[in-house]
Amino acid sequence: MSDRLTSLHEAIEKVLPDLDGVLALKSGPGGIVSPYLFSKEHPEELAKLAIWPKEPVPDTLKIILRAHPDAKLAIVCRGCEERGIVEMFKHAQLGLDNLTLIGLQCEKDEAEFCRCAKPFTVHAKTIVGQPIEGVADPLTEQVSALSQPEKLAFWKQEFEHCIKCYGCRNICPQCFCNICALEDEKWVETGRLPMAKPSMYHLVRAMHMTAKCVACRECEETCPADIPMAVHFRLIARDVKEMFNYETGADMEQKPPQLLVLEEGEYDRTGLPH
Amino acid sequence: MNVGEVSAWAAENLKDQGVVVARDYKFMCSSLGQELIQKDIKEQGLTRVVVAACSPHLHEATFRNACSRAGVNPYLFEMTNIREQDSWVTTDKEEATKKAKALVAAAVGRVAYQKPLESLLVPIDPNVLVVGGGIAGIQASLEIANSGQHVYLVEREPSIGGHMAQFDKTFPTLDCSACILTPKMFDVGNHKNITMLTWSEVEKVEGYIGNFTVTIRKRARDIDEELCTGCGVCWEKCPKKVLDNVFEAGMGNRKAVYVPFPQAVPKYPVIDRENCTYYLKGTCKACEKFCPTGAIKFNQEDQILTVKVGNIILATGYDLFDSHRITQYGYGRLANVFTSLEFERMSNSAGPTGGKIVQRDGKTAPKVVGIVHCTGSRDKNYHEYCSAICCMQSLKFAHLVKEKTGAEVYEFYIDMRTPAKTYEEFYHRLLEEGTHFVRGKVAEISDAVRLPGEEGKLIIQVEDTLTGNQLRVPVDMAILSAGLESRHDAKIVARKFGISCSADSWFIERHPKLDPVATMTDGVFVAGACQGPKDIPNSVAQGAAAAARVLSIIGQGEIEIEAATAIVDEVTCVGCKQCIASCPYQAIQYLEDKGKAYVQEALCKGCGTCVGTCLPKSISLKHFTDEQIVAEMIGAMKVMKSFELMEVA
Amino acid sequence: MMHEPKIIGFLCNWCSYRGADSAGMARLKYPPNIKIIRVPCSGRISPELVLRTFREGADAVMVLGCHIGDCHYSTGNHRTAKRMPVLKKLLEYTGIESERLYINWVSAAEGEKFATVIKDFTEKISALPPFVETMK
Repeated sequence: MSDRLTSLHEAIEKVLPDLDGVLALKSGPGGIVSPYLFSKEHPEELAKLAIWPKEPVPDTLKIILRAHPDAKLAIVCRGCEERGIVEMFKHAQLGLDNLTLIGLQCEKDEAEFCRCAKPFTVHAKTIVGQPIEGVADPLTEQVSALSQPEKLAFWKQEFEHCIKCYGCRNICPQCFCNICALEDEKWVETGRLPMAKPSMYHLVRAMHMTAKCVACRECEETCPADIPMAVHFRLIARDVKEMFNYETGADMEQKPPQLLVLEEGEYDRTGLPH
Repeated sequence: MNVGEVSAWAAENLKDQGVVVARDYKFMCSSLGQELIQKDIKEQGLTRVVVAACSPHLHEATFRNACSRAGVNPYLFEMTNIREQDSWVTTDKEEATKKAKALVAAAVGRVAYQKPLESLLVPIDPNVLVVGGGIAGIQASLEIANSGQHVYLVEREPSIGGHMAQFDKTFPTLDCSACILTPKMFDVGNHKNITMLTWSEVEKVEGYIGNFTVTIRKRARDIDEELCTGCGVCWEKCPKKVLDNVFEAGMGNRKAVYVPFPQAVPKYPVIDRENCTYYLKGTCKACEKFCPTGAIKFNQEDQILTVKVGNIILATGYDLFDSHRITQYGYGRLANVFTSLEFERMSNSAGPTGGKIVQRDGKTAPKVVGIVHCTGSRDKNYHEYCSAICCMQSLKFAHLVKEKTGAEVYEFYIDMRTPAKTYEEFYHRLLEEGTHFVRGKVAEISDAVRLPGEEGKLIIQVEDTLTGNQLRVPVDMAILSAGLESRHDAKIVARKFGISCSADSWFIERHPKLDPVATMTDGVFVAGACQGPKDIPNSVAQGAAAAARVLSIIGQGEIEIEAATAIVDEVTCVGCKQCIASCPYQAIQYLEDKGKAYVQEALCKGCGTCVGTCLPKSISLKHFTDEQIVAEMIGAMKVMKSFELMEVA
Repeated sequence: MMHEPKIIGFLCNWCSYRGADSAGMARLKYPPNIKIIRVPCSGRISPELVLRTFREGADAVMVLGCHIGDCHYSTGNHRTAKRMPVLKKLLEYTGIESERLYINWVSAAEGEKFATVIKDFTEKISALPPFVETMK
C-alpha cells in the first residue's frame, strides 16, 4: 500500500465513527474503481479504499445530499473536486455545514495526466499527501499558438467527431441543472451528425463553463471521441482571471463576475470600446 | 421605398407564416388607419397584427390601443420600423424595399410567438417623498401638502431654504430674496401635512411606483427637539468660532452650535461635532450649562427612519463651480477676487459685512469693479454648457455695486443672454445706469503691474471683440460669476433612486420637451437645478409641475405597471441563485422552502438581464422570450438569405 | 472579395434603438445590411442568442447598449460588458474572427455615431469571407 493510501486510510478511520459516512473511491470487482460511501458499520470495507483512477466524487455527493440533506458526511476530494464542491456550494446546490473535506493532494504523474494547474486543495482542513505545484498544459499552449485558420481547422476536425453522446455534460460536476440548454432545439439542432457548424453544442457549453469549469478534465476523459474541450475552458478561465480577477473554486464568497456590476478598472481590461 | 411592393410581397410570401391580409396605407396612425385595422380584425378574425411604419417609440401605444379596442390583446401587436431605420437611412430605393421585407418577415415571425399579457394594477401610497429643501423642493412640498396629501421633506443641511436663502436680491425685480422665501419656509415648517426631516439624508430606496420604502438617516443634532425653543442662548454662549464655508461661503463665522441663519426652519440648532470643544477635548459644555430648557443632549445617536411613499420628487439642486480651478483668474490667490456667492453674502444686509460692499480688508469700498461672466461655463476646459443664470446675476451685481458704492462697473461677457420675461428690460436698465459692457472672454486677472495706474489694482486682461482691442482694465474688485454644476454626489444619488445622469451629471428627464419633470423611473420625478441650470422662477415652476404630476398619479388610486416582466419556471429552476445576483433591482427572491427563484413582478422592470444569465433558461422575460427573439432573427435571416440566392442565380 | 454581409443588430430599446431612430430623423445614410432587433436591454442578450444568429448564417452580430453609467436599467449593460468579451474570446479560440461580434454603446442622442459605427462595421465585415463559407 502506498504511503498516501495508508495516510488516507488513517484519516478516514479517525473521522468515520463520528459521521454518517465518508465518500471516497472503492475498488470493486474486476478492480473497477467507483465512488463509495464508507460507513462506521462496515469499517472493514476500508481495505478496498482506492485513489486512482479518479472518479467524479462531488456528483455522487450531490445525489446523496439531495436524498439526505442532513447527513453528516466527509468527502475525500482532490483539488479539482474541492473546487467543484465550492462552486456547488456557491450555486446553492449543497451545504457545507455538515461536510468535512479530506483533501487528497495529487502526485506529479496524476497532475500531468490532467494537465492540472492546481493539483492541491485549499479549503480542506485534513490533508493527505504533499501538495505539489501545478504542471504545464502543453496541449492548451499548442492550440492557442495556432493561427486563426489553423484553429478553425483544428476545431472543425475535433467537433466533426462529436457524436453528441452528452457524456461530457453528464459527468461534469458543474452541470447540475434540471433541464439543459443543450437539449433545447433553439440552441442545439437535433437529429444531425456530424453537427452543423459552428458547433452550437460545444460553443454553448463552453460559455456555460465560464467561471464555472473547475478544470477536473472529467469531460475530456469521458469523451469517446477524445475531443480536448477543456482547452477552451482553460483559455476562458485565464481571461476571466485577467479581466475580472476571478478564480473558480478559490473563494467561498466571491460570486461569478459576469453576474455583477463592473468594478473599478475592469472595463478597461475587457477590450471594449470607450 | 416601394411600400406597395412590400405589402404585396408579404401577402404572397408570408402566407404560410399566417399572414391573412397585408395592406399599404399611408396614414396608418390616423383615426382612419386605426379603423382600418379594427375593421380587419373584426371581419377577418385576426389574432395578431403587425404594423410596419415609423419607430415604435412614436406609435406603438397608438396601435396597441387600436388592437385592444378591437378585442386583440395589445401584446399580440408588433411594430417594425421601416421609416427611421430603413427608408430614411437607405440611399438605394430597391435596397430599402428589400430591407423592409426582411423587417416585416422578422416581425411576422415574432408575432406568432407573442402571448397576451395583462398589466398588473398596484395601489398608490398617497404619501410623497421630496428630497431637497431648496425653493423647488419647498414649492413641490407645499403644492402637495396643500392638496391634502402627506409629504416627507428630507434636507441634508440643518435648515431648509437652499441657495435662495443665501442670496441678497433676486433678478430682475430686485425683491429681497429672504422676504419672499422665508414665508414659504415658515409654511413648510408649520404645515400639518409636511414631516420635515432636516440634517437628514436618504440612505436607501426600495420598491417601485406606488410602493417605495425609503430609509432615511436623521443625523444626531445633539438637541432634544421637544425641549428646544430656539432661544439662541446656546450659540450666544458657545465660545468656539468656526469659519462658515457653507452658508456664509467662507465670508463669516458661526459657532460650533449653530443655526445657519436667523430665519432657519426648523429653529433648532445643531452641534457641529468636528469643531465642538467638548467633542474635541472632552470639556466645555457651555451650551448645556446655559440652556434654559435642558435641550442639549450630547452623544445623541443618528436615527434610522423608514417611510413608505408612493412617489418621489428629487429637488437636490446644484453646486457652485469651484473658481479655484481657473488658476489664471487668481481666486484664492488674489485677495480681491470674489465669487458670486461671496458677493451675495456681502451684499446681504444680514450677511457678514452687514450689506456693505468692501474689499477683502473689510473696510475699503471699491472704486472700480469688474464682473466676469461665464466663469466655468461655456468653456471646453470646464463646462461646455451655459449656466443660464449668470448673465442676469451679473447684471444684478452691477446694479447693486452701483447702488451701494457708486463704483464704475465693467461687465465682461461672451454673449448677453436674457431670454425671459422682463429680463431684457433689466439689461437695458443696466445699460442706462452706465455700466460698461465689454464683449470678450477674460483671459487673466493678475496683480502684475505693467502700466502706470495699475499699482495696487487687479488687472483684467481681455480682448474687446467688438473693437478688436486688447484691454487691460484695472479694478479694485473682481467678481467671478461662477457657473452651476451638478451636485458632487449626483451620480450616487441617481443610482440610489434608479434614475440616469447626463454626461455632466444632471438628472435626465423622461423627455426634454414633453416630459420635463418625469424620469425614466416611474414614480421618481425631478425639479429645479438638479435637472440642469435654471433660475428661481423655472425652479418654482418645475417644483409645482412635479407636484402636479405626482398628484395626478395619486388621484388615479392605482397604477398599471410593466406587464413584460420576468418569470421563473419553478419546475426547471435549479435554484442556483445566479439570476438573483444579476438583477439590477433585487427583484428576484430565493424561496428557501422550495429552493427556487421567484420574481416579484411589481419590482421587475423587465430588463431581462436575468434571462441572459440563466443557464438552463428557467427564467424568461415575457414579451421578449427566446422563442420570440429567435423567430424574429430567423425571419430576417431567411429573407436576407433568399435575396442572396436570387442574386447568385 | 467583397460581399454583402448579413448583419443582425441587437439594440437596447432605450439608448441604441433610439440612437438608430435619431440617425433616421437626421436622414443620415448607412448600408442596409443591418437588421435591427429591439430588446429591452443589452443585458437581455445571452450568448446563446448570439451563437444561434451565427448558426443561422449571419456574417456578424452587433450588440449595442446604453453607455456604461447611463443604462435605463441602472446596471443591466454592466453584465453585457462582462459577458460579451468572453464570448468574443471564445470565438477567437475557435478560429472564428472575433470582430464578427461587435459590442458598443450608443446613446439616444448619438445618431451620428450610430450611422458611422454601422458604416464602418459593414465595410469591415464585407472584407471578411462570408461566414457560412468559412464554416464549410
